[in-house]
Amino acid sequence: MPELEHAFSPALLIPDFLVGEVQSKLAYVDENIRQAQVAPAGDRITLYLQRPADQPAITELEEKTQRVVLSMVKGAFKLKVQVLEDHLDRPVPYSSDPHSELLARGEISPEAEGIYTLGPLLSRLILYFESLFLELADTFSAEPYRFPTLIPARYLERVNYFQAFPHSLSFVTHLRTDLDAIDHFSQHAACEPDGSLNTPPDSFAPLQTLLSPAVCYHLYFSLADQPLPAGKVTATAVGNCFRYEAINLTSLERMWNFTMREVIFVGPKDFVLDNREAARVHMSRVFAEIGLAYRVESANDPFFIGEFRKQAAFQSAFQLKFEIRARLPFNESTLAVGSYNYHQDFFGRRLNITLPDGTPAHTACVAFGLERMAYAFLSQFGFETAGWPAAIREACS
Amino acid sequence: MDANETTSLSGQVQALLVEALGVPAEQVTPSLAFGDLPQWDSMGHMEVMMLLEARFGVEINAETIAALTSRPAICAYLEENGHA
Repeated sequence: MPELEHAFSPALLIPDFLVGEVQSKLAYVDENIRQAQVAPAGDRITLYLQRPADQPAITELEEKTQRVVLSMVKGAFKLKVQVLEDHLDRPVPYSSDPHSELLARGEISPEAEGIYTLGPLLSRLILYFESLFLELADTFSAEPYRFPTLIPARYLERVNYFQAFPHSLSFVTHLRTDLDAIDHFSQHAACEPDGSLNTPPDSFAPLQTLLSPAVCYHLYFSLADQPLPAGKVTATAVGNCFRYEAINLTSLERMWNFTMREVIFVGPKDFVLDNREAARVHMSRVFAEIGLAYRVESANDPFFIGEFRKQAAFQSAFQLKFEIRARLPFNESTLAVGSYNYHQDFFGRRLNITLPDGTPAHTACVAFGLERMAYAFLSQFGFETAGWPAAIREACS
Repeated sequence: MDANETTSLSGQVQALLVEALGVPAEQVTPSLAFGDLPQWDSMGHMEVMMLLEARFGVEINAETIAALTSRPAICAYLEENGHA
């Protein structure tokens, strides 16, 4: 009998430190999966389906799911969690999920999955947080940059992005420069009920361009294949970023199209590491003034299953990434609103960015998700501005 | 590598690095460390760690991944764990 829900045991017990990681990757197993859950004990997986599946389809779903489990769990290295700051117990006045209130107020208008238009309140909050991040950039005399929203495929290929994050890529194309193809499109283009265009794939030009997944990559590419000017660079930029997250795209917590402000350091190892730490200390004071409840802890990037085991272990062992995780009181979880990242000389080597002594440059960046920052703030402080910190109340009035 | 080198611990570690990093033996110098060769990058390092675990049965964790970043460090760790 066709099933809409299928529960089974994973091929290997999923250790607690991988339960969330495996669950997030199950979103990419099959388009028929509406929701996937891994039991906290790691001994049960439940797939909730969009459409009823017969036995052969269920068998295939289970086999694909087990591939994810085996790839991520077999021989997994235990990831080390280091907490640099813990202010999760700061008292905050609000405990409801702001999502429905944001919808009711017209502050968020969903255009499609993971794509939102933001209203005046959220926009003002984001401008306020942007001013804080720009103050941070000023303390380092960071030079302002503006980067494109598009990024060439050959750039991402050069930094191994296709192997590390294939699941979250967003591709860009255009109609072939061919009069017949353009005429045909203009006369027949229409959206199917599911929103997809009815255009034949061969109407489109080859894929050479993607939507950019990060801000700092553009700076590194602009510095490639040459000695680093003056031996070091400090830059700041804000930009649109795109990471497709399938069924994980929920509210402002996880958007397909979001904006990040970054402060970026390129230079010798001590220079980038000292500045990354100075940025953390600066932001710790800023968050204390706001009264934000958060923790800073080591983390890893969401590498895809083939690369996850090795790359996440390396990142964890060398403590390359620390996330600023704001408390979400409505479900007692945390949300990453920013991160302090060190890439060693990965980009320096891959992109041939050299220091005056000829060695590869090191890189670090401090990144803030602007929509998430505003969402976390509203989750903790709500919509009654009387309960907000005075500086934010004044800036948003 | 001569016969003595292939049986000594240092020689075994050299062979392991040659295999994990995919480089000629002469490039694996006695003091070779993470970052000295393009192949010994983050991905190469994890290949070294996994081969170390498989060949010598030693535990690899966050601490060892961060510490075993040179041929001498790997040799010393193996000696400490009964592989003299």
